[in-house]
Amino acid sequence: MTEKIPESVERAEVGEEMPQGMERRLVLRLLTYWRGICGERDYPSFSDVDPNSMQDMWESCFVLEVIGHEADPVFRAAGDAISSFAPVPLIGSSISEWSPDNLIGVAVSHTRDVLRKGVPMSHGDEFIKIDGTKVLYRSILLPMSDDGETISGVLGAANCREVLEE
Amino acid sequence: MKAFEIHTFRGGKWKIDSVFDDKELALFEARRMDQSSRYPGVRVSEENFNESTLETVTRTIFKGGRAEKQAAPRQQETKSDAKKPARRKGAQGRNGKGKHRTQKKKKSGIVMPLVILSLIVVIGLAALFGLQHMANFR
Repeated sequence: MTEKIPESVERAEVGEEMPQGMERRLVLRLLTYWRGICGERDYPSFSDVDPNSMQDMWESCFVLEVIGHEADPVFRAAGDAISSFAPVPLIGSSISEWSPDNLIGVAVSHTRDVLRKGVPMSHGDEFIKIDGTKVLYRSILLPMSDDGETISGVLGAANCREVLEE
Repeated sequence: MKAFEIHTFRGGKWKIDSVFDDKELALFEARRMDQSSRYPGVRVSEENFNESTLETVTRTIFKGGRAEKQAAPRQQETKSDAKKPARRKGAQGRNGKGKHRTQKKKKSGIVMPLVILSLIVVIGLAALFGLQHMANFR
């Protein structure tokens, strides 16, 4: 699968339109949200996630189902912004179907580490798109649980910007 | 390969809170967490994995204000324990606090007799002076 960034996607610094004093980095805002719904538990539940209360972040979020797909988790939900990077339907696909020349592929590349360690993990790097464009990205993967103990899914988010080289 | 782990002190022990591949981001988040009152302790650990030797070298690169306070008594104990064999083998105290108490007692054991002796000397001199004064009157 290759990435196709729609023409409608604005190439702007991530979060530059955020109100002053508000953390602009998506991964830190989502981590704070995750901690908030987590409370004193080890992991929050998907039932605690309210996309309406996090609309600014939800656009860049995706949900992976782990139970029954431990070896190759499957996308179960995704916001519009992250979905726009998928040239084929994202929902229902497994993480192994996405190559590392695509935002979605790099965003889920550390899923197994998160399942092994059981803690939120954030990664950032660059990747080269199939057309040769360099893209900087940052992603976060957050473990979720229905019973508070066993990881049943992963809430993730990623955003990126293209690096225009002269 | 480097990873930066944020650890928080919860339930009486340190737990991994989150993992970052970016040092500045991890430090920024740790400082932010440390400023909030939610965590009694926050620290950042740098995990450096050497792929050729398969060894991981870990070092703490940030200790929050509260983490520092929590670590301080332990460090004091460790330092005291380290000094103990060099100074006195088989010392009675189990930790630094006990040893400090012993030292204080020793100090007071020398000072108190000196004070008492000084008082006796002063009283004696005063008595002699008084007697001499009375003898002059007669």
